[in-house]
Amino acid sequence: MWTFLVRRLLQSVVVLLGVTLISFISLQIGGDPTYLFVSENASTEEIERARAVLGFDRPLHIQYLSYVWDVMRLDFGRSLTFRQPAMDVVLAALPATIELTLFSLILAVLISIPLGIVSALYRGKPVDGGIMTFAMIGQSIPNFWMGIMMIMFFGLYLRWFPISGHVPFLVPLFAGDFARAWANLPQSLHYMIMPAIAVGSYTLARNARLVRSSMLEVLQQDYVRTARSKGISETRVIVHHALRNAWLPVITMIGLEFGFLLGGVVVVETVFSYPGIGRLVFNAINQRDIPVVQASVIVLALVFILLNLIVDLIYARLDPRVKL
Amino acid sequence: MIRLRAMLWATAALGLPGLAVAQAPENTIVTALSADITTFDIAQVSERGNSNIMRHIFATLQTTQPDGSISPDLAESLEVTEDGTGYIYTLHEGLTCHDGESLMAEDVAYTFNRAKDPENGFTGNVPGFLFSGMQFIDAVALDDLRVQINIRTPNPIAQGLIAEVMIHCKDAYEAMSLDEAGMNPVGSGRYRLTEWDRGSQVVLEAVRDTPVERLVFRIIPEASTRTAELLAGNVDLVTNVPPDQIDVIENAADSSVYIAQGLRRIYVGFNLSEEFAQLPGGDAIQDPAVRRALQYAVDVPSICTQLLNFECERATGLVNPPHNHPDLEPYPYDPDMAEQLLDEAGWERGADGNRFSIRFQAGRDRYLNDVNVVQAITQMLQDVGVDVDLQILDWASGYVPLIRERRAGPMYFLGTGGNIWSPYIDMNDLNSVEAGTNYTHWDDPRWFDGWDVLRDPSATEAEREETRLEMLRVFYEDGPWLHLYSQPDFYAMSSRLNFEPRQDERVYLWTATLD
Repeated sequence: MWTFLVRRLLQSVVVLLGVTLISFISLQIGGDPTYLFVSENASTEEIERARAVLGFDRPLHIQYLSYVWDVMRLDFGRSLTFRQPAMDVVLAALPATIELTLFSLILAVLISIPLGIVSALYRGKPVDGGIMTFAMIGQSIPNFWMGIMMIMFFGLYLRWFPISGHVPFLVPLFAGDFARAWANLPQSLHYMIMPAIAVGSYTLARNARLVRSSMLEVLQQDYVRTARSKGISETRVIVHHALRNAWLPVITMIGLEFGFLLGGVVVVETVFSYPGIGRLVFNAINQRDIPVVQASVIVLALVFILLNLIVDLIYARLDPRVKL
Repeated sequence: MIRLRAMLWATAALGLPGLAVAQAPENTIVTALSADITTFDIAQVSERGNSNIMRHIFATLQTTQPDGSISPDLAESLEVTEDGTGYIYTLHEGLTCHDGESLMAEDVAYTFNRAKDPENGFTGNVPGFLFSGMQFIDAVALDDLRVQINIRTPNPIAQGLIAEVMIHCKDAYEAMSLDEAGMNPVGSGRYRLTEWDRGSQVVLEAVRDTPVERLVFRIIPEASTRTAELLAGNVDLVTNVPPDQIDVIENAADSSVYIAQGLRRIYVGFNLSEEFAQLPGGDAIQDPAVRRALQYAVDVPSICTQLLNFECERATGLVNPPHNHPDLEPYPYDPDMAEQLLDEAGWERGADGNRFSIRFQAGRDRYLNDVNVVQAITQMLQDVGVDVDLQILDWASGYVPLIRERRAGPMYFLGTGGNIWSPYIDMNDLNSVEAGTNYTHWDDPRWFDGWDVLRDPSATEAEREETRLEMLRVFYEDGPWLHLYSQPDFYAMSSRLNFEPRQDERVYLWTATLD
């Protein structure tokens, strides 16, 4: 167990170095970002001065090595547009995205598992066809299109949900202001429903299909037949015997999908004017705010690494055949 | 994408008559903006939406009115020194900043000098554009109420540029770090900041007599979401409305669209540098006769009506009305004339039907419907036998570096901000052959020598005007721009808002009222 954790920790360092290097190179391919931070009328001297202030006057490898050295001392640089510590800017945007991602994942899991089970139990029946058609549509519709459609019908026409915006829940919660967090919760959920469905529809659909196929496989196994022959109730057979085993591939997917959802919120955050990390990164890339992009990449990579680690630990706990 | 949006909105419009429109909060104007706010430091701001909000928080020495006239704000009077390099402003008595500190001449001087100080490393519009445009040296407090702004040489646009600098008090800013100053503005204007929920909204509250108590600026990046919020009655004012959404807003019961003839000049530039003269087509455009011929090949009014959803008059130069040359007529769309002039210039059609090939570069998604506009121009040029190689680049990573290094072209598509208060600032893009904004490398002495007269403090106003009009005539006939149009600005408003947008993209809501 400890060997596994140490090995994963070392792998994580390599992964972090890799993602920072790739993102650094990707941003530099576009050329010198200095021009985006000076006026059109700036003289050559002013451009040179701005280049030095922004740190782009040094050779690329020196810039990168200097950045890595700073990161090791937990200095993630300063945002070129916000003129604030880059990590502060990223961490300020992260809670909104975590809220949205968690909520959409919970929605997706809570809906997809029953749908997958029902679909498997009624295989080949109209209800199975209906659920799988629904899943196929969920996987096919682009989330920005679904977002705009929901805004028009549920936001504008029916007035069920707010069209855009965000009410924070995690920020007051982490700040220890539990009363405000609790008071904000209903509003926060109200604002999140449409973006969460837009973000999570693909995951919901994919999980429903995955649970169905996994359940179908497990339901054919001898131990399920044995359980039924013992006269155990069908509900108990499904929940305790079949689902417990069918659950394993789903757990793996859920862990990976959290990272997938984090990456997929960019468009949805833009459509719903949701102030999260996706929109922040999108704008930072457009504005070539390299420190913010780098800090975001590190945070997202850390979240991804952590989630994978948690999934592995849970997997080992659920499946005794897996040894860490 | 635009077609998809239009289709979606047409679908939505079918359901709109049944809407019961909600109302935005009372005595509050809610404005939807597309871009995030990044700073509240007057020396660091460079984006128009950001500075529009800040202008409510900070006052200026003088202010530019919608008609282009300059009127007093914090300063009650201005005198210019005899040599034309010192601007002495006398402040009103009894001014204060939002924290109660008295606003005196030393505060004004501090504001200017702080923005200039290289130690602070500001890269905003004040040090980067205004100060370099006026050739600012320093600011000195002469006494409690008089402050002198010193510039290097006499400059006809200095007063207007100084009027753009927002003023703050000294003590509050000396006590704050640069980080803190960017987030906690202590202003001198009509409103103060009460909330900045980064990425979501900015809330201002009136501190001086204004018709509306609260202003809320909501950040809504997606255009269709801004429109939906307006139609739902949650927003009063939307800026940057895309042309494809105008009809649905106009057809809704409680909203309308206002089209302001903007001042941003959109043009096709000819890069006349020696390097580009070696490229295909680069040699052809060196000849003013070829450049003139191409003017006739482009149907600008049709581009405006078909692609931009507004009626425009083609530009005749780089100066916005009413300061444009009064006697110059826009080049008409006459492809036959274009072909005739190209023949006469020695560029006859070859066996393949082409006269010459040329590269045409443009950035993506910076200006209104820009990709469609450059594609239309490409087709029109091809119709008269010019084989155009259109290259559409990512704005930030691909196009901006090319433009700023003056290496876009040989033909390139660009827009440049304009104004209404002075013709000289519009002409200032080409204030010298080496100017960073002379992306064309044009070097006609009939234009550039004219600047000596315009800058000469001993020249009479009549001499300046005569020189200016002659320069504009040269630019029209032999200049380095294929003249297009000034970009319109579309504003959508709720029916309860009484507000007349300006031409210069400034959104100042202290004159607006609510029914």
